[in-house]
Amino acid sequence: MKQYRLRPGRLIAKTVLALAGFLAVFPLLWTALNALKNNVDIITRVPKVVFTPTLANISYILGRDSVLTGLCNSAVACGAAVLIGIVLGLPAAYAVARYPNRFAGDIQFFVLSLRFLPPVAVAIPLMVIWLQVGLYDSLPALIVTYSLLTISVIMWLAIPAFQGVPKEIEEAAFVDGYGAYSVFWRIALPVAARSLIGAIAFSFVLVWNEFLIALMLSSSNAKTLPIVASELSQQGMNVPWGILNASVVLLSLPPLLFLGVLSGFLNSVFRQKKS
Amino acid sequence: MRRRSSLPVTFLVPTLAILLVLSMVPTLYAVVIALQSRELSTTGYSWVWFSNFADLFADRRFLNAVWVSVKWEIVTVVATMVAAIGLGVLMFEVAGPRLRNFYCLLFIIPVLLPRVSAAFVWKFAYHPLYGIATYPYRLLTGGLIFDPLSKPGTALFAVASVDVWQWGLFFAVIVLKLLETLPPQPIEAARLDHARRWQIHAYVTLPMLKAPLISLMFVKMIESLRSFDLIYVMTRGGPGVATETLDMYAFSQGFIESGKVSYASAMAVLMMIATVITFTMLWKRVQA
Repeated sequence: MKQYRLRPGRLIAKTVLALAGFLAVFPLLWTALNALKNNVDIITRVPKVVFTPTLANISYILGRDSVLTGLCNSAVACGAAVLIGIVLGLPAAYAVARYPNRFAGDIQFFVLSLRFLPPVAVAIPLMVIWLQVGLYDSLPALIVTYSLLTISVIMWLAIPAFQGVPKEIEEAAFVDGYGAYSVFWRIALPVAARSLIGAIAFSFVLVWNEFLIALMLSSSNAKTLPIVASELSQQGMNVPWGILNASVVLLSLPPLLFLGVLSGFLNSVFRQKKS
Repeated sequence: MRRRSSLPVTFLVPTLAILLVLSMVPTLYAVVIALQSRELSTTGYSWVWFSNFADLFADRRFLNAVWVSVKWEIVTVVATMVAAIGLGVLMFEVAGPRLRNFYCLLFIIPVLLPRVSAAFVWKFAYHPLYGIATYPYRLLTGGLIFDPLSKPGTALFAVASVDVWQWGLFFAVIVLKLLETLPPQPIEAARLDHARRWQIHAYVTLPMLKAPLISLMFVKMIESLRSFDLIYVMTRGGPGVATETLDMYAFSQGFIESGKVSYASAMAVLMMIATVITFTMLWKRVQA
């Protein structure tokens, strides 16, 4: 009897969920669809679902020098910053996780507090500094600035990942005569690898998506893809909707490649908490 | 054996030194610039000490920006948490394991998008004539025009909806994972006492998750400070100054309208002081 009474509630709940799921992906799918349309098919009062697809927008985007430079700049700046984040962040996280000292709490708070800093407050002085040094609008300036982001984020996420490695394995390695450094290299890194890859992917998505700092630190040479994409829309009233949609799709693809890695990372974080 | 190793020093000191330099140099320099009278167009400057700050408090557009920022912070944080808890509980109640995994995957997608992409996607969707999100309204009213992004009353909420679309759905996944970590016994006990489903969540599960939910809110408060990309792409602070948050105003003072770098920096310094103090206090309370 009770089961029976609950049914309408469950039905409503399922509908709400389905609606939310639809809302999560539909706008993006619609954008992808628009990227395949001619302008006439986009500018219609009644949305068109049936149309003759065209690859003109996509080939136009991929043929533009500014887009390709932006893509290259984004790849180099994000790749280098993430690499620096790995080299400096992972060892530091391991030291905090495994060699407790009285500053451990303060170090963690310091790393987190870097995230409180308003991006404008960092970008304005850095712009003046890079102008004075002569590195304004160059990739090295962008890489150094992004490193602050990647090091702190990777460190913050890697500390719990290293703490999740069973202590017994490391102790056993010490007993077998491993030194402290080889325990890090040969035991802690491989065992924690899954979570660490999640942390690294997260930091990559973060800098790939970054906008304000890139906007302030570049004027022509070092523009990243988000900046190039945002400029495409500022071409007066005659907005090339199809091209714009295609550039949004191009910009969104790299972070979406990490969807699997990141959702796996999320699962592993919460499985650790459970046990 | 662990104790005598040089590892903590060699692993920690270089990283922390670099982090300190990279963060302290710009923040201290921001304060220095704020006390000067630098402009983008000229190289000369003088020390004006606190006059930039005095000007700020007489600037009505600045006070408006403070108010808009506070509104933005409250609207996005509250809406995100409500959406996250609501959807998280619904998934926990009516979805089986496979359906849960499917929804989790869908709900993570928006947050992975670059803010610039998300802003564009919704800027098209909100287009009064051709947008997909305004289409139902056109259909129902027989072609009336509704332009949420250019009305002062709705612009902020329209932009905030994109933020909630990204973060609310993502946090719903986290709320679900948190619910899944709870032990089943208290829920069973409440069920035996004939508690209704919503009562179980309101009085048993959500109170048990109070600490992680507060941490989650804290994270959202920090992320909400980064509203610039959304607002820059969708409204540029308009219509008028209806969506002009502090970072947007600082940017337009420093780079678009007048090139008053020092004035912009003074604003940034005030923001920095306010956020560091607020979040340090909140963090200590969360940890305690």
